Amino acid sequence: MTTTAATQPHDSPPEPEVDNYLTYTRGFRSWALTLDHKRIGIMYLVSVLGSFLVGGIFALLVRTELLTPGATIPGVDENLYNQFFTLHGAIMVFLVIIPSIPAALGNFVLPIMLGAKDVAFPRLNLGSYYLWVIGAICAVVSLTVGGFDTGWTFYTPYSTTTTTGGVIPVVTGVFILGFSSIFTGMNFVVTIHKLRPPGMTWFKMPLLLWALYATALIQVLATPVLAITLLMLIVERVFQIGLFDPAMGGDPVLFQHFFWFYSHPAVYIMILPAMGIISEIISVHSHRHIFGYRFIAFSSVAIAIFSFLVWGHHMFTSGQSPLMNVVFSLITFSVAIPSGIKIFNWMATLYRGSISINTPMLYGLGFIFLFTIGGLTGLHLGTLNTDIHLHDTYFVVAHFHYVMMGSALIAMVGGLHHWWPKMFGRMYNERHGIIGFTLVFIGFNVTFFTQFMLGSHGMPRRYYDYPSEFQIYHVISTIGSYIMAAGFFWTLYLLVQSLFSGKIAPANPWGGRSLEWQCSSPPPHDNFKTTPSVGDCYDFSVVRWSEEEGGYVVDRGDDATSKPDH
Amino acid sequence: MANIVTPFEDPSTRLSAGRFGMLIFIASLAMIFAASILGVMVVRLDDQGVWPPAGMPALPLTLFWSSMVLIASSGTQVLASRAAARGQGEALRRWMLVTFSLAVTFLVMQGWAWSELVDRGLDFSRHLYAWTFYFLTGLHAVHVLGGLIPMFFVTVRAARLGYTRENHRSVAYLAMYWHFLDVAWITLYLTLLWGVSSWSA
Repeated sequence: MTTTAATQPHDSPPEPEVDNYLTYTRGFRSWALTLDHKRIGIMYLVSVLGSFLVGGIFALLVRTELLTPGATIPGVDENLYNQFFTLHGAIMVFLVIIPSIPAALGNFVLPIMLGAKDVAFPRLNLGSYYLWVIGAICAVVSLTVGGFDTGWTFYTPYSTTTTTGGVIPVVTGVFILGFSSIFTGMNFVVTIHKLRPPGMTWFKMPLLLWALYATALIQVLATPVLAITLLMLIVERVFQIGLFDPAMGGDPVLFQHFFWFYSHPAVYIMILPAMGIISEIISVHSHRHIFGYRFIAFSSVAIAIFSFLVWGHHMFTSGQSPLMNVVFSLITFSVAIPSGIKIFNWMATLYRGSISINTPMLYGLGFIFLFTIGGLTGLHLGTLNTDIHLHDTYFVVAHFHYVMMGSALIAMVGGLHHWWPKMFGRMYNERHGIIGFTLVFIGFNVTFFTQFMLGSHGMPRRYYDYPSEFQIYHVISTIGSYIMAAGFFWTLYLLVQSLFSGKIAPANPWGGRSLEWQCSSPPPHDNFKTTPSVGDCYDFSVVRWSEEEGGYVVDRGDDATSKPDH
Repeated sequence: MANIVTPFEDPSTRLSAGRFGMLIFIASLAMIFAASILGVMVVRLDDQGVWPPAGMPALPLTLFWSSMVLIASSGTQVLASRAAARGQGEALRRWMLVTFSLAVTFLVMQGWAWSELVDRGLDFSRHLYAWTFYFLTGLHAVHVLGGLIPMFFVTVRAARLGYTRENHRSVAYLAMYWHFLDVAWITLYLTLLWGVSSWSA
């Protein structure tokens, strides 16, 4: 640490206010080889949003194809359709949602919120990013060698026998992406344990950090199981023998056990950081101390632990023993407890708060609404007898879209608006942001609420053709998806536009108390000039609007907001 | 100097960030081996026949001796780490060279065991018995190979007396990884021997 302090004066440009992480150094190499967690976060963000566009295009193709029974888009037959939904699922899960909050937003805000200069292993962090890139390239390569139509779950024995040529490249890609995720998790766990400044105790950490910590534990302990499973799958596909091959005494259901041992926790890799973001947004934008801090923090950890014990609820119809079904069903229900704790605490935080209805807050409220629907419909699927009927129908599709998209992705977009001024030093247009939210929110519900009805009427998922009685629902759902697409394109436009003509952002535009609002917007290369002083990050009574700053300031001498030589 | 930009590591804590990171990395790797072993056990429990199946060769005794070599290398790695902690460069050089030689010997012996079984007709695609053997030993060998690369650099640096009492972190990290591979191998070997009717050929 003496070296950092010693080199500080030499590295700093002469005018301190110009020194931010974006202008600190220039040129392609300074980005490609950066060790700065903020730049790595931005690189992840751009890559993830690019993947989101690709995955979204496949979703629109799927929805358009389903407008009419049988063929709709000229040239798209059943086999191509199978590839569309497989690609949509694989891209959205492995390239978008899993890295979206931890790797993109988390990388940017975690060290600043913690009061650290960077993550514990900056080189490993950059390495994780390039592993992500290599994994993404593998997925692209798989398209050029025949694609793959296994569904994102790669179930054996279909995945070991299908004639589409892209299975091995894409499985290799997911294998590599898994390591990217493991290393990010490792970095976050060590960072949170070892790099906290004086005064930043566990119970003074913002709740997003608790959520990212719980997420990182899952990433570290569950992802390796997926890695070895995929390796076994590759070996089996190449040599046509393996643990999943019943012809030689193997067990095909074993693949499902292994796959869901990772992929159910992976759902919590998606949702836990989203819940962390919501804890920040709800508290900051209602200017009220978060209600039940410890309960929210521990419920994150509880959800992480539960995540390892419920994978069997994906396999109620796979022939596992009835006793196991009952046990998995019961444990699944108990996930409702920590999830419910969070919802009620957010509601209690809102109660009598001074709520600012701006874009991040709308996404936050949207999250609570959509997650509640996603969570409650989970009860129908966790109940054994209703699951037999609903299994593999559009009800499941709607349920997990409410959780993975309506909750995880909505929180990600909300968080993006929340930290956008911090990331780029520009305010987006609030009115435009609200229009974007409205389109996305309406489009989402039109698309997926309809699918609950489709599913409960018996429309199976992944089908290319369907009886004409389902058509009206499919048409409504497809229209919803177009509205949602318009909302996302609009959001992209308003965010990009803000970079060119947005107002200059103050250090603290929302009145937040956590440490990232103490440093300037965009933050300097080293995050903090002096050791940040840690207060109660949810105590908003000392925050007041300052006309000359154009933003909020924190009163009292115990915070180093505008005092460089504290 | 008084202004600490940000507190990196608190040197007073026993567990450094690097060691802590290694521990988590090892926990992650342990899940890979645990899942593999569990998978093999599930298949073995489903299988009602004798193991190894009729006509399949039992595991060669080479594996027993290679296990001894790996355990020995773990022991000499302990001696090397101890020498590093005491700042005894000469001893560190000696024990790192011994450890490296033993590690290479282990890998050669594993290859030897493979070739013995191939000679006896244990074809990868014939039976899951063959699959479990080649998959588990192969998985471990890949990790040993992954350990030999950093071990090579550590040994070269130790041979040049490049470590001091204050700075020998890479020796410590290597030792953690190496002991893990030792434990992982013993567990894998016992898994392969579990319930077999004849344990060597």
